[in-house]
This record gives sequence, structure tokens and C-alpha cells, in this order.
Amino acid sequence: MSGGGSASAGPPPAVEVSGLTKNYGAVAACDAVNLQLHRGEIHGILGENGAGKSTLMKMLIGLVVPDAGRISIDGASVRIMSPLEAAQLGIGMVHQHFSLIEALTVWENVALGDRGKLSRSATRASVAELGEQYGLRVDPDVPVGDLPVGLRQRVEILKCLRRQPEILIFDEPTSVLTPEESEDLFASLRQVVNQEDRAVALVSHKLTEILSVTDRVTIMRNGQVVNGYQTDEVGAAALAQDMVGREVRLRSTALGNLGGSPSEAGEPEAEGRSEEISAPTVLELRGLEVRGPEGVVELDDFMLSVRAGEIVGVAGVEGNGQKALVDALSGLQPVIRGEVLVDGEVVEMKRLGASHEAGVAIIPEDRHDSGLVMEMSLAENLMLADPEGFSHRGVIDRGRLDALTEELIERFGIMCTGPHAPLWTLSGGNQQRAVLAREMTSNPKVLVASQPTRGLDVGAIEYMAGQLRQAADDGVGVLLISSELDEIFELADRIVVIFRGQITGEMTRATATREKVGRLMGGDLL
Amino acid sequence: MNESVLSRRSQWAEAVTLYVLCGLGALVISGLLVTVVGASWSDVWNALVDGSVRKPGRWGGTIGVATPLALVALGTMVSNRAGLVNIGQEGQLLIGAAFAAYAGANMVGPGPVALLVVLTSGALGGALWAGIAGGLRYWRKVPEVLSTLLLVSLAANVVGYGLKNSWLLLERGAGLGNRNSVSEQLAPDTRIPHWSLWGNDFAMSAVAVVLLIFLVSWMLNHTLWGYRLSVVGQNQRVARRFGIGETAEGMKSMFISGGMSGLAGGVMLASGDFANYRLVAGFSVSIGWVGLLVALVAGQRALAIIPVAFVFASLRTGSGFLASTGIERRVTDVVQGLIVLALLIPPAIMFIRQRRRALSASRSRV
Repeated sequence: MSGGGSASAGPPPAVEVSGLTKNYGAVAACDAVNLQLHRGEIHGILGENGAGKSTLMKMLIGLVVPDAGRISIDGASVRIMSPLEAAQLGIGMVHQHFSLIEALTVWENVALGDRGKLSRSATRASVAELGEQYGLRVDPDVPVGDLPVGLRQRVEILKCLRRQPEILIFDEPTSVLTPEESEDLFASLRQVVNQEDRAVALVSHKLTEILSVTDRVTIMRNGQVVNGYQTDEVGAAALAQDMVGREVRLRSTALGNLGGSPSEAGEPEAEGRSEEISAPTVLELRGLEVRGPEGVVELDDFMLSVRAGEIVGVAGVEGNGQKALVDALSGLQPVIRGEVLVDGEVVEMKRLGASHEAGVAIIPEDRHDSGLVMEMSLAENLMLADPEGFSHRGVIDRGRLDALTEELIERFGIMCTGPHAPLWTLSGGNQQRAVLAREMTSNPKVLVASQPTRGLDVGAIEYMAGQLRQAADDGVGVLLISSELDEIFELADRIVVIFRGQITGEMTRATATREKVGRLMGGDLL
Repeated sequence: MNESVLSRRSQWAEAVTLYVLCGLGALVISGLLVTVVGASWSDVWNALVDGSVRKPGRWGGTIGVATPLALVALGTMVSNRAGLVNIGQEGQLLIGAAFAAYAGANMVGPGPVALLVVLTSGALGGALWAGIAGGLRYWRKVPEVLSTLLLVSLAANVVGYGLKNSWLLLERGAGLGNRNSVSEQLAPDTRIPHWSLWGNDFAMSAVAVVLLIFLVSWMLNHTLWGYRLSVVGQNQRVARRFGIGETAEGMKSMFISGGMSGLAGGVMLASGDFANYRLVAGFSVSIGWVGLLVALVAGQRALAIIPVAFVFASLRTGSGFLASTGIERRVTDVVQGLIVLALLIPPAIMFIRQRRRALSASRSRV
């Protein structure tokens, strides 16, 4: 307790971060971030994927060295250049992805990173003791590979606690836990904070978790701190809005009313489309169940329908099943239960390529992952939609393919050196146009667009928005999955909210308000 | 237009410079190596050239070695396209040769038909052996790098066992006292016909393999089969979404890859260039391994296999003449390694530089 320097009365905060900045190329992962962590408090750090939470924490733990800004621990300015230095300063972190060695037993994992002589009995004793103290009991002699994820996380936490850190950082700790396991975890967290006066930072994108566990919350968006609250003074709706409410870049030119508040926009359009309500249903999902790689239920009894010519916006905080929904519709993740109907006919999702053949076009969230073959040429990528159509008895008709590619380059304004340009030479916006061009040329009945404007610049965003609208006008049923509320309010005729793998609310564009959608996104029921 | 022509010319210049530099580097190191061992490098060079092409009748023999090398490399290229790393050609080749030998010893029929059956059996054997690795990969998730490699030693043992038992491969007349593990010699009319050109004698299979290389090269670039193979090899999630099954395409390519190695084994047996129309212990004499190197150097250009296979075959046939220079013939293995490096480094450098240029170009454009 040096006492000097701090403006507020009482002891200085355990951690004080001011003006902390980290740039990756032209992107500011963290932009002049200020944050204080106090002893005896759980401090929530809320934000979407890519908001800069993890980068901020990595700077505290010494994994990333900041470009600018200051970090003080207990009032003393420090430079943290490595995790080892962070540990010496009493900062410990429990990572989102476990850093455990599966073949080793629990106590061996806990002892990893210790220096000097390895004492089996002492380590085992400390595992037992800490386990007792915090309610994190684990058998020290079991190989970690044999433990379920919830217990693995306990090991990770024990490993961290054994070094007696004064400042504890948890990065998305519940992403692999069941609700019961999460509750156990938070109970022990509370104990660490209350009884031992330590400071805890809880990084999360889950609103409910932040609301129920933390004392204070800081919201990050686009690398910046946008707001901060005492948790008991704030509600889910406000947090959700802070989290996703981006500046409206979309509407400015598309609707021609600059600067209007988002909740007032778009009515004329919604009414313009209301006549189409009698249009046939082109996509119907009946009770879909989809599970993730570890058996976690990602979509649960999921119901949704899209009519021809309408845009249905799926709003929701990321990680509530959006990815599973798109992957299942792409045929990349198995549908365990339920049916997918396109144009009234059941699609046999187990068969490779069935959804594509049935007329489901997809603009995936990550085009590198499941949209494009980067090493192939533009023409070859466009050909994917209908290889047989560009060939005769198994021989590819290059002339015809190139001609069509030229046509699509023209029509979709793809900037490239020609049909034979390798895809990786195209800029992100042009790659996205290539995806769109390919998906639209196969005359789809349904277009599923997942975060279609993510990472694009303003011009490309406008173009994409216009194309989605055009597709709907041409009678395609569009399913727009986005974590940007503005985008949803801008484009959708009907809005549904996805929460924990289910649709929790549905409303027309005319009746939807940002408050209502925000509350649903946070897990409240209507 | 002008710009792209110019840049193409400068790309050529870059390629030539890099290859010359790396080639010189390999030559200098090889020369140093020879000098250190105490021989004269000009003697060594002369011996290699004499043994591979210059002395009467030698280049025919070199073609005989280049033929199976090229087949193995071509098969490797096919599995590479599908993103599979098949490195067990040595074993697939040996099994192919054993299948061919068994068919040759047990077939009765007119010569040409019997020859066809011998070669087909060879291809079948190799395909089967590679198929084991493929099956393990797709249904048991065993990395094919490991399984193909381990199947090489298994192949050697299986064939060794076959050569000890007359109901399998061992020559029948040999009797119990015979310690030579050799198979029945192929009947004269089931051997691949040879051609004589200016005193050089080589099997017609060489011509067939050149044609096959052209065919496969065309198929890889112009057919749906080649296209699907590339998609699977580069992005399996995209492939799956568009209904291209990685298992189906991957298994097919594994069968083709192994089949070509097996065919190489059959050709080695039926062309007589290797063990006088008999299967013997250690019959594969590293042709599978060297063929893998040929594929490595040729990269994705199937036609490049032809010259590369010939160069590597020359090193092998030329090394037979090294004894007179007082140098260990295995020095050529080192030289071979240096050549591989000299030919692989330039494309790697060019790839990196080209990519960098293209990226900066596309950034400044948009």
C-alpha cells in the first residue's frame, strides 16, 4: 500500500489499466482501454467475439505485449512481458481452451510448471486441500484424459489457485460446462473473492452469467470499452444493446436517412412486404436437434419457417446455436432429430450435398472454412455449384466455364485479374462477392446468410445488403443470421431470437423493438 | 497486357536464376564431397555419364529404371491431389510385383493375354495394399502417413514368406535344399516386348508409361474426377457441402496411387530390367522411395515426371560405373539428395515471393 497517487480514497485497485492499446495491422484489437479490478469483487467483462476481451486479458497475463498504455498492480506501474512475470506479480489465468496434458494424471498436471524437486505427496496433498477448501474435489491420481470437461476445468482452476494468485482471470470459463457445473464454479469463485479478498475478472459473452455472478461489469465492443455498470443497477436489455449496438453504417445509404435512431427506421419497408405473407413456405425446420463435437446440445427442438420472398432475421448473442444452425443446413453437422423441408419436401440431410441440391444456398460466416477453396481459381470456385453443368461426359468445358465466369465477374462486380485468378488474390469483399455469385447462380429457393457483412468495409456491406434484398424480391426465402441488431432491423421482415439453441421469440419487423429483442437475446421470455 | 507479359518474362528470369544458383550449389557440394573422399570429380562425372547414357546400350537400361520410377511418381501425384500422403510406394510396388509373379507362374494362356493378366494383377496388388491404408484412414482415422509407411515392412515380410513357400511364390523345381528365394521365371511370351534403337534395348512399357503420364495429366486438369480430387484435397468442408465425398474420392485416389505402384512392380518384373524376370528378395530395390522423390520434385506438374525420372534413373545406372573411380557408389545417394534440394528450393522461394507480390498487388488494386 504505497498510498500515493491514487485519487480515490482507500487502497488502490488491484489492477488498473489505462489507455491500453494493441493493434494488429490496421485493426485495433484494444483501443485505449481503461479498466479497474478491485479486491473482493468479481468484475465481468462482456462483449461479443472479437470485441477485444481476450486481447485485453492476454496483455494482463503477458501473452501479448501492448503497443501503448499503462498497467498498475496495487498502485505500482508494471511492465508484463511474459506469463512468468505475470505469475510473479500474482496474476493467474484460467484459459478458455485447456492447457492440460491428457496422458498425465491430475496431480502431475497441477505440478506442471513448478520448479525444483517434484514432490508427489506434497502436490497430491495440496490438490486435496485446495479441493476441500473451494469445493473443487478431484481425484489426483486419475489421468486427465479420463475426466469429463467439467472436472478438467476444475483441474485447470486448481492449477491456477495453487500458485495463490491475488488476481484471477477467467476467460469464458463456462463455454464447455453444463449449467450445474457452472453453478459450482461460480460458488467457489464467490468464495475466493469474499473470504480471501482477491480480485477476479470474468470474461464472458453470456449475459445471464454476467448478471448473476458479477459485482461490476464492463462492456467492450470493437476493441473499446463502451460502458460500465454496477451489476445490480443494470438489466439484460441494456447490456445486450451495449454489446451489439453498433453505429448504423448500413442504413445510411440504403434507406437514405442518416443518423436516425435505429428503432424508428424501416417501417415503410415492412409494410411493403406484408402482402407476401401468403407466399408459400420454402424452408421449414421441424424440431431440429444438433449436437456439437463434445455432445453438447447446440440446437434443441428448433422450429423455424421462411416464406418465399421474405427475409427472416435470426437475432441472438453469438454462441447460442447460430453456427450449428448454419452448419446443419450446409450438411456439415449431422441432424440428430427433426426434419428440414425445402419447398414442402423433406430433405434427406444425411446424404452428402442434399441440401445444396434441394436449393439451399449458404453464405457462411467463415468463407475460408466452408465457402471457398482458396487455392483454386475463381472459375473453379464458381463451378462448385454445378460441376456437371460445366462438363460433358466428365470432361470440363473450360470455354463455357470461363464465359460464365466473365459474366458473373461483370454482374457481381468482382474485382480480379480474370476467371483464372486464384481466389486468395482477391480481397475479402470480392471473395464474399464470389460466394454470393456462386450461390445465386444455382437459382436457390432459400438463401442462408450468416454474418454476411462481417469484416467487410462500408461499400461492401451496402452491396451485400442490397443483394440480400434483391434475392428476397426475386422470391428467394432469405434467412439472415446476424449478431448485429442493426443489420437485422435494417433487412428483416420478420425477426426471431435464438437463445440457447431455441427460438425464444418471434415478431414482425413492425412490432419489433430493440428493447424487446435485446431482452430476448439476454434470455428473458416474452 | 504489356505489363503481364513483362512480369511473365521477369518471372522466367527469376526462375532460371534460382534454378541455376541452386544447381550450382548442389554441384559444388557434390564436387567437394568427391574431393574429400579422394577422387577426381571429373572422373566421377565421366563415370556417371558413361554408365547412364554415353556407353553403348546404357540409356536403354536407364529408361528401364526410369519407367517404374515414373509410374510410382504418377501415382503419388494422384494421392497428393486428394490431400493424402501416401509414402508406402515401396511396399505397394513389392506386393504388386508379387501378385504379378504369382499370376505369371499360374497363368496358362496365350502370351499377350497372360502378360495383360500379369500386369493387371500387379496393379491390383498395389491397389489392395494401399487400400488397406486408405480404409484405415477413412474408417478408423489412422493417419495414412503412418499406415502406408508401416505397410512397407509388412509387405517385405509377406513377400519374403511367399518366396519361401512353393505353393505361393517359390520356384517349384527348387526343392527343399534350395536356399535361393526366387520365384518362377516368367515364360518368354509373357514378357514385355523390347525394342532396339541404335544399340539400346528397352521395354515397350516405357512408351506406354509416357502415354499414361500424358493421359493422367490431362485428366487431372480437365475432368470432373480431377476437379473433385482437388476440391477434396484442399477444403473438405466445401467438398462435403457440395456433395463431394472425401471418403469416396480419397479411397479412389488411394487405389489408383497404389495401383500405379503395383503396376510399376509388375512392369519391373515383366520387363526383365531388374531381376531377369524373377521375383527375388529385396526386389523393389528402393524404386518406391526414389519414385516418391521424383514426385516431390515434379510437384503438381505431371509432365515434369518424365525428365525427373530420367535424371534419377541416370544416377542409379551411372553409379554402377563408379567402382573404377575408387569411390563408393552410394555417393550417388547423397548427390541424389542434393539434386532434390536444388530442385525443391527454387519453387519454394518463388512461391513465397509470388504470393507476396500478388497480395500486395491485390491490396493496392482494391
